[in-house]
Amino acid sequence: MDNQNILIVISFLFSGFSFAQEDSTSQKKEILIQEVRIIGVKFNEIKTPDLQQQTDKVLSEISGVTLIKRGNYAQEPTIRGLNSGQLSSTLDGMHIFGACTDRMDPISSYVEPNNLNSIQLNLGPTEEQSTTQVGGGLNFKLLKAIPNAEKLFSGRIGAGFETNALAIQSLGSLQYSRKKWALSVNGIFRKANNYYAGNREQILFSQYEKYNVGGSFTALLDSFNIIHVDYLQDNGKDIGYPALTMDVSFANAKIISIGHEYKKDSNRIYKMESKVYLNFIDHAMDDTKRPPETVPMHMDMPGTSRTVGFYSGGKLRVSHKQFIQFKITGFQNDLHAEMTMYPPIGKEMFMLTIPDARRSVIGLSVSDKLYFGSNINLSIGGRFEFVKSEITTLLGRQTLTSFYSGNPTKTNLLYNIFIQFEEKLGKKTMLYFGISKALRNPTLQEMYGFYLYNRVDGHDYLGNPMLKPESSWNGNLGMKYKTSKWNLNGQIYSYFFKDYIAGRVLADYSVMTIGGKGVKKYVNLSSAILYGAEFTLAWKPISKLSIQSMNSVSYAKDNDEDALPFIPPFKSVNAISYDLKETNIKLESIIGAQQKHVSTEKYGEKFTPSFYVFNIRAARKFKLGKTNLNCSLSIENILDAVYYEHLDVMKINRQGRNIIAHLTYNF
Amino acid sequence: MKNIFLAMFIASISLVSCKKEELNPNPTVPVVPVIVNYTTLGTDTTANNEIVTLYSLTSEIKTGYNKTFITVKDLSGIAITNATVVFEPLMDMGMMQHASPVENPIYNSDIEKYEGVVIYTMSSLSGVWTLGVNVNGSSVSFGITVLESPTQVVRSFTGTDGEIYIITLVPPSTWNVGMNELEIMINKKTSMMSFPADNDFTAVLTPEMVSMAHGSPNNISPVLVGNGHYKGTVNLTMTGDWRLHLELSKAGVVINTDTYLDILF
Repeated sequence: MDNQNILIVISFLFSGFSFAQEDSTSQKKEILIQEVRIIGVKFNEIKTPDLQQQTDKVLSEISGVTLIKRGNYAQEPTIRGLNSGQLSSTLDGMHIFGACTDRMDPISSYVEPNNLNSIQLNLGPTEEQSTTQVGGGLNFKLLKAIPNAEKLFSGRIGAGFETNALAIQSLGSLQYSRKKWALSVNGIFRKANNYYAGNREQILFSQYEKYNVGGSFTALLDSFNIIHVDYLQDNGKDIGYPALTMDVSFANAKIISIGHEYKKDSNRIYKMESKVYLNFIDHAMDDTKRPPETVPMHMDMPGTSRTVGFYSGGKLRVSHKQFIQFKITGFQNDLHAEMTMYPPIGKEMFMLTIPDARRSVIGLSVSDKLYFGSNINLSIGGRFEFVKSEITTLLGRQTLTSFYSGNPTKTNLLYNIFIQFEEKLGKKTMLYFGISKALRNPTLQEMYGFYLYNRVDGHDYLGNPMLKPESSWNGNLGMKYKTSKWNLNGQIYSYFFKDYIAGRVLADYSVMTIGGKGVKKYVNLSSAILYGAEFTLAWKPISKLSIQSMNSVSYAKDNDEDALPFIPPFKSVNAISYDLKETNIKLESIIGAQQKHVSTEKYGEKFTPSFYVFNIRAARKFKLGKTNLNCSLSIENILDAVYYEHLDVMKINRQGRNIIAHLTYNF
Repeated sequence: MKNIFLAMFIASISLVSCKKEELNPNPTVPVVPVIVNYTTLGTDTTANNEIVTLYSLTSEIKTGYNKTFITVKDLSGIAITNATVVFEPLMDMGMMQHASPVENPIYNSDIEKYEGVVIYTMSSLSGVWTLGVNVNGSSVSFGITVLESPTQVVRSFTGTDGEIYIITLVPPSTWNVGMNELEIMINKKTSMMSFPADNDFTAVLTPEMVSMAHGSPNNISPVLVGNGHYKGTVNLTMTGDWRLHLELSKAGVVINTDTYLDILF
């Protein structure tokens, strides 16, 4: 029901015509999850956020974000066809790295809409960057307890049911708010069975179960200083990955942070924010639930990821026409992944698949925003970063000798720079363009990974400590048009890569994974190019009716003119929403074009046919005094279409018809 | 507020700078002085009144390459360090008798013992092993119980040249995941009693993880280092049962396409 709202916010928030909001730019979007805020014109209000949705679902509705699907859970966000190694995903500014070598646990799988205030999307280097990356990233902003709130106690309880996978979820949250401090807790439980694709095809091993709890404590020290303590714990278990050969027995995350905020509008430095944090992820893959004939050899594949870090930054007003933003960030991430295989006869085999790798990063971001008159603004900024990658244990160093004989410790000095220009052409139109140069360090998996299996191309991947940083010249050019009834935004973008990191076949190497096709090693390709376009439209001819359209397309090829993998083809999401008395009714269509620009030989991808899916949603809010009850009923994939999207690993069909009922009581 | 910022800045500096201690990231194993416990296998006195004591590194003798030590003393207990010592192993199988390859002992003043090698080519299940020790032309003999090694670390093969050879793994102290030095020894059987070291081979090494039928990259085939010993590098990407396939050539002619030695760790 509130997809509409999210869509509207997406469409309008970043269009930020009022330059007074110096935070908004054309390369930065903020998708509000739980905050009633009016942005721009009146109808852009988040009415009743549906916190029972999966985080994946929320992400899939953001223009530019496409998910790599391996199951019905923990889908991996990509932005404009850029993958996780090229993006920087953070939780409230905290760096977290998934522990799974098969990318089963993107950090989005450890947060729930119930925890979140908003999701920030950065489309490249911006003021918000907290590490050097070529493709920007996502930042999931946590919901904080709010002191001095209207009610001493407030909260919500809710429950939902989906027919397709017999999925249930129940959530609750409670805030206790005093004048000087506040405490809030929230929790959600989800459980789903196998889902059914179109024509009642059961997708085996697509079940999941999780609970997630969050707690937030806020204290006002004085009028200007605030202390935050946040804790988040996410425990997933028995999660099926039909596209992979193994499932997950558990995926647990513990995330804790202490932060300080300072705000004083009259000061030159009018805002400061600092945080120290620690997070730990414990993940274990499991093949014991699979039929024995599909498991050539039982194995255990646990992995852990531990990150400690801090950031501290602020905003400085030079004049009312110039704002400087600065941030120092540092973190250290330790990854360990191992595999023990149990042959029917003979001794078990043990190996490290990520040989105790560590990354330490420290960097400084500075940006300057300048306003020229009331029509032009310019953002210039950059980040400089020192990155050290190393192996911390003897066993890890011994393992690395298998494919690399030099010193495994590598250091790099990286930088990002960007310039973004916006100009209002009259009252309704704005033109913007930007250029940035971005570098990114290879990931620890790309540097030190040891026979990490990629199901898409059927190859075991070996890391390469000699990899150079990947760099990219990015450009964007767009135009917005906005009236009280219309909101249009069109943008084209391009990424010109140098030293693009991809796998290259090592012909003589014998594959380790049973059934694998070969071994690849990460190398720097001399170049690659990615370009594409996005177009969003919102039209509200009358106050009860709104029409939205979100369209995107990307195209990418490597230095041999071969198509790069995981590049989303043209996709169009269109919705018409109508308020029938108190009930909001929304019709939605999702159209995906075919993707035939694939390199089957080189990257293992195959042709994906086009598809279309229709959804209908109805939502109603009942006011009960100072409290309210939200009800929603949706039918997704009304036509029970049999389809999959291009980024779906192993091309497993998506959910068929699904009836979803959500009930939430807010008090 | 500013103090917090300062504290974080300092924390950030120390976060990076405290890493400096690890300046030796080379994957070398720290050298730990090894305390060797010798097992006494027996003592006997030769006809020349030399007291010969036989030692091994382990209480159990297994098939394969066995370092073997002796001391020689006169009747007053004074060590004799300049004797000529020869190992004469003998397998008595009832119907036949044969010897096995050896490396004759040389006095090692560091350990105050004569140090040599006996390669037991089969276990005592096949017959009776005795190890004769000839000191300055006079022999004593020790009965040896040889157990079967858990893996095939020594084997004989007949080359396409019609000759019989013994190939033996020279075991390292430990096997590690990753790159390991690999040493083998090759002896030629010239008679039932004579197994001289053979220095004329070239080898091609192909390791295989038996349970999964995959290999490993970046191996270096063993090359001659002298006295029938060949050294190379084997890449053991994981623990488990590894089979080291060897293609052996002599004078440019492949005389055995696939013999193998097995290791387990």
